[in-house]
Amino acid sequence: MNELINELKVKIIETLNLIAISPGDIIDDAQLIGGDLGLDSIDVLELVMMLEKDYGVKIDSRELGVKVFASVAALADYVHHYRPEKNN
Amino acid sequence: MGIISPFGQGICDTIDSIRTATRGIKPLHLFPTVETPLPVGEISSFSSKEDVPRTHALAYAAAEEAMKKEGGPPDAVVIGVTTGGMPVTEELLKQGAVAPERYRNHSTGSIAENIAHRVGCKGPVLTVSTACSSGSAALKIALEMLRSGRVKRVLAGGVDALCKLTYYGFHSLQLVDATGAHPFDKGRRGMSVGEGAAMLLLRAAEIPPDDVLAELVGAGLSCDAYHPASPHPEGVGALHAMKEALTDACISPADVDYVHLHGTGTIDNDLAEARAVHALFGNQPLPLLSSIKGSVGHSLAAAGAIGAVVSTLSITQGIIPANTGFHDPDPGLCLTPVREPLEAKINTVLVNAFGFGGNNAALVIGRPGGREDFKAPVCAAKPRAFAILGSSCFTGAGDAGQTMKRISRGEGAGGIVPSAEILRFLSEKYVRRMKRLCRMVLSLAISACGDTTMTKPPASVFFGTGWGGLSETHDFLTKLFASNERFTSPTDFVGSVHNAAAGHVAIHLKATGPNVTMTGGDCSFEQALLSASLLTRNSDDPLLVIGADEYHEKLSPLFDASVAQAGVPADGGGALCLMPVTSTSPLQIYPSFFSYTGNNGKCITELINALGGRERINDEFGAVLAGIPAAQREKGEGQLSKFLSLTGYPHPVIDYRRFVGEFASASAVAAILAVSFLKAGEIPGNVCHQGSVSLQGKGVLVMGFGNYITAVEIRP
Repeated sequence: MNELINELKVKIIETLNLIAISPGDIIDDAQLIGGDLGLDSIDVLELVMMLEKDYGVKIDSRELGVKVFASVAALADYVHHYRPEKNN
Repeated sequence: MGIISPFGQGICDTIDSIRTATRGIKPLHLFPTVETPLPVGEISSFSSKEDVPRTHALAYAAAEEAMKKEGGPPDAVVIGVTTGGMPVTEELLKQGAVAPERYRNHSTGSIAENIAHRVGCKGPVLTVSTACSSGSAALKIALEMLRSGRVKRVLAGGVDALCKLTYYGFHSLQLVDATGAHPFDKGRRGMSVGEGAAMLLLRAAEIPPDDVLAELVGAGLSCDAYHPASPHPEGVGALHAMKEALTDACISPADVDYVHLHGTGTIDNDLAEARAVHALFGNQPLPLLSSIKGSVGHSLAAAGAIGAVVSTLSITQGIIPANTGFHDPDPGLCLTPVREPLEAKINTVLVNAFGFGGNNAALVIGRPGGREDFKAPVCAAKPRAFAILGSSCFTGAGDAGQTMKRISRGEGAGGIVPSAEILRFLSEKYVRRMKRLCRMVLSLAISACGDTTMTKPPASVFFGTGWGGLSETHDFLTKLFASNERFTSPTDFVGSVHNAAAGHVAIHLKATGPNVTMTGGDCSFEQALLSASLLTRNSDDPLLVIGADEYHEKLSPLFDASVAQAGVPADGGGALCLMPVTSTSPLQIYPSFFSYTGNNGKCITELINALGGRERINDEFGAVLAGIPAAQREKGEGQLSKFLSLTGYPHPVIDYRRFVGEFASASAVAAILAVSFLKAGEIPGNVCHQGSVSLQGKGVLVMGFGNYITAVEIRP
């Protein structure tokens, strides 16, 4: 799981062009959206595309998004459970 | 009036469909998709035999109908559009087509220009791209042109055609309802992307003539200055635009019989609009309300103009269209629109249209002579001049100072603006989601404001760009095609709209006044300045007028024939911080002439007259900065030499594109150079193949030649 969390942090930084932020700066349980990273709804949608493309995980409602993007830990948990078998 | 939408082609079909509450939303048929096609507002019966993009063909259909009964050409054409030639361009890019000729109709400005050519217009031809409020913004500009007395008849409206960019773009933002739009319904999940066109011929008249259908009595523009793609949650900007429109029409909310709502069907838009409507009407009972986007989808730039036509039909036919798709009231909205087509006598309609970048517009349409207390519009003698408070520019040389230095040495300042220069006023973290054009424009705006001593920030932003955010457009389509049309970037979609940059400026400066982006090719900057002078009639606040274009390695040579011809990459832009002119203003700027030359053999004479005649030109202007796009050089040089021989112009003439390079908004840089020359009191040596030339207290004319002739006066 830790490996997935770190992998997701790297992908988040790359996808959202987060300048001067390293994976170590993203705290596993900290609020991901609207928190210190300055991420908003467009960033969420950009991550939704990345998750579908790289992990085969679909997030197609705002209600689900709120849960999934609560923190990197929550995101990793969701990806871990819902990614298609072949990717595990 | 002319209209084409999923309601049908023409006024008669539209009336029939409104009466029967036809739901024109069906699964996409226009192009194949990998996944199940989403419901859209497609005009399935429409196809054109002409070799033009669908957007152009739709616009012609509406314009032809609008002009059917008119005896002569309009004095001006103003078109709101966002997609331009994209339906063709995206297919060509997908195929990898590399012949620039095939992209000749890509530009948004080509629609207005082609219409002007067909209808024989000789005057101003303008293109507005304020996303989904473009059509309404076009009507507002047309209204102010009529009020200014500059023109008597204007053809204005909006158009957009379905294309992959908008279909996949809105889908990537999760703003599309997979069951079709249900505006204001409790279970609404989003919009249905649509297409259409509507054009209105507006005539100036103190007393409405007998054959008139309705009066455009007022209009208001505002900006949320809140978020690039989401509306202000309380609908603050929407409310502001509606209030401005009512004030402009000299009426109160109680006078409104029907509100033609924007109502796209997205959760946030409908909530923000409902809150704005409640705030506008306060404790009064709400008037009749409906959105037609559950019937026809959201036709983007056409929406406001279609709203204006449908609202005019409400007045002439006494019918309110149904808010199709509305079943269960949403307790969060407390708003019940008209469920079935309703017959009612309607005198006054408020028409809403809101777009990305927080660009809001509202129109007031009234029964001709239906209300005695409609006051005749205030006629200004002419569009206003502005005092120049501050300026900034970017060229391949860097900022204004570096550009002047380079030019003074007799070297060119063309080339690509260094990225480090653009980032000088910006934090990379703050602009992480912005690409080249947005960064350049924001940086220009900050720098122009920093060049002034004023304490009040600009309230409104007028931006001209020939091509918009090419990086975002390219990256969006590249990602889309690389993934077999499965994945794309919502950030790039939001950044690809032409008004994205001006939206960022507004957010940064909290500029909640009009936010207008003009996209008329090589004279986009002049169009922005002209719009500013028309639209800030009643305001004493500072404003920004900006022109900028980015060079994109792949797209610029395909889209811009002048760039292709020059073969040398160049980009840049300029920004002016302005105020309404006062007696103590050290420098002034005034847009004095704008004409489409396609139908006008007499435009040089008209130009000289507009500038006050030969004597005034020679006495008051110590230099001409002449802009001749490379692709129109022969035509432009002919016009310039005719101008020079007719006036016997004795002062230096500077062919500035040879110094700053070929890009659509090079004239914005020319304006800033003119300001620098005037501040120095002279034109540096090397610029005009002689030693430095004193301006002797005279002004400078920034002129454009080619398919359009423009003149901007900058003087002490």
